[in-house]
Amino acid sequence: MKSTFFRYISAVLLVLLLPQLANAADVVIITHPATTISAGDVKDIFLGEKQFSGGTKLIPVDNASMQDSFLTKYLDMTKSKYSSSWTKKSFRDGLTPPAIKSGDAEVIDYIKRTPGSVGYVSSAPSGVNVVK
Amino acid sequence: MVTAKIMKMNHIKQGKFSALLKLTIAGILLFSPVLAQAEIEGVPLHGFLDVGYYTNSKDANNPALPDLPRGFNVGSLDIYLTPQFEGNVKGLIELIFETTPEGSLATDLERAQVGYTFSDNATLWAGRYHTPYGYWNTAFHHGAQMQTAVSRPRFLDFEDKGGILPAHMVGLWATGKMRAGDGKLIYDVYAGNGPAIAGNVLDIQTAGDNNNQAMIGFNLGYEFSGMADGLRMSLYGLRGDVVDDDAPPNKTELSMAGAAVIYQENNWEILGEYYRFSDADQSGGTGSHSSWADYLQLGRNFNGVTPYFRVEKTVLDQADNYFAMQDNGQSYFRQAVGLKYDLNQTTSLKFELNNSKFAAEAGRTPYDYRRFLAQFAIRF
Repeated sequence: MKSTFFRYISAVLLVLLLPQLANAADVVIITHPATTISAGDVKDIFLGEKQFSGGTKLIPVDNASMQDSFLTKYLDMTKSKYSSSWTKKSFRDGLTPPAIKSGDAEVIDYIKRTPGSVGYVSSAPSGVNVVK
Repeated sequence: MVTAKIMKMNHIKQGKFSALLKLTIAGILLFSPVLAQAEIEGVPLHGFLDVGYYTNSKDANNPALPDLPRGFNVGSLDIYLTPQFEGNVKGLIELIFETTPEGSLATDLERAQVGYTFSDNATLWAGRYHTPYGYWNTAFHHGAQMQTAVSRPRFLDFEDKGGILPAHMVGLWATGKMRAGDGKLIYDVYAGNGPAIAGNVLDIQTAGDNNNQAMIGFNLGYEFSGMADGLRMSLYGLRGDVVDDDAPPNKTELSMAGAAVIYQENNWEILGEYYRFSDADQSGGTGSHSSWADYLQLGRNFNGVTPYFRVEKTVLDQADNYFAMQDNGQSYFRQAVGLKYDLNQTTSLKFELNNSKFAAEAGRTPYDYRRFLAQFAIRF
């Protein structure tokens, strides 16, 4: 009786958690193979606060097909606020907002050929660094 | 007298489309091949545009005073470029196009900066930049769409539109941020050509410091995070000698110190800046003179609609030549109430009603007026 109860509870929890786990796995941060960053740097990189990793200049690139998920998960902000934040940053500090690529394929291609680049995709590809 | 002063506040800048501007554009074209091709794809063009409408009451106590301009108007077209060059070198070029009260086109090279980024914590700029005192001047400047209110606080307006401080400077500017605790320490240190007062308006001396009176300043602040995310507090100061064109010229040591508290989070906007002046008369021997200026603006965003309220006040000692010699140096009190409606993230419609009262002071005519302003502002 007790084990049946726990099996039900476990099944319910699994059903409830699966979408969360799926969402958490949705956004994969990748970098050029010669570029090393930590997951804790992602927010600062995409807000223009961190521009270097060692001696390498970092180049963040947005992925239009996943931007909402990425902004929610890593920056905790809406697209509107992100855009507004970059307008202020660019206007005051002379920085250029991240280029926007249409989807995973474009991002991966850009990351592979651009030293210092940092992007995000829906699944981990080969030939790039995956940030954990 | 006041007529002339009001009209002079909007003096024509046409003709300032100088060789410097042409040189800058030529420089961009010349250096474009060495833009870091691997890092960026072209040079993005950014900008702001605003058009509007305003009308105002007439001062019943001073019927001889002229009306301020009224009716539909083209505000300004602001274009800026942020080219990123190789070797941590970057540029910031900003051009501004405005119409004068007379209807002619005024152009200005608003900013022309070349910078070198040493690290995440330090960038050194050289050229013409927005003077980094307080918060408003560097955060919004000509970017009307970014600011909630239609108008700037008058004392922080541009030199020819009501401002009492050099909103621009030509020289060197070091700036950066560094993590400190949970938040970030932010700093600006700058030095450049000291302004002069010519024709009763501050002249920032873009072409060179003709009176050899350098100006230095700093802005040191802290950006909080976590529970206090969105809160920023800073202290700042500015010091330098200012010579005017009186006969004989007066020399005043301008000494300003101030503090700002800014909160922009959870749909709230609270902006407050305070400026204290302790200016010393270097030529007439009248000693030191104290003055102050401040503003407080509160706004709250309700799903894209942001009502706001602002009060601003200056108490400027007219025995201080720095203020006495400026058309903009009359003490005043202003209240403003308004509404900003965001049609989308890059387009805003704004309305403002403000009430201004200028003090009766030595050499000044007291006057007051109310003004209604509407503004349609975009960014791109």
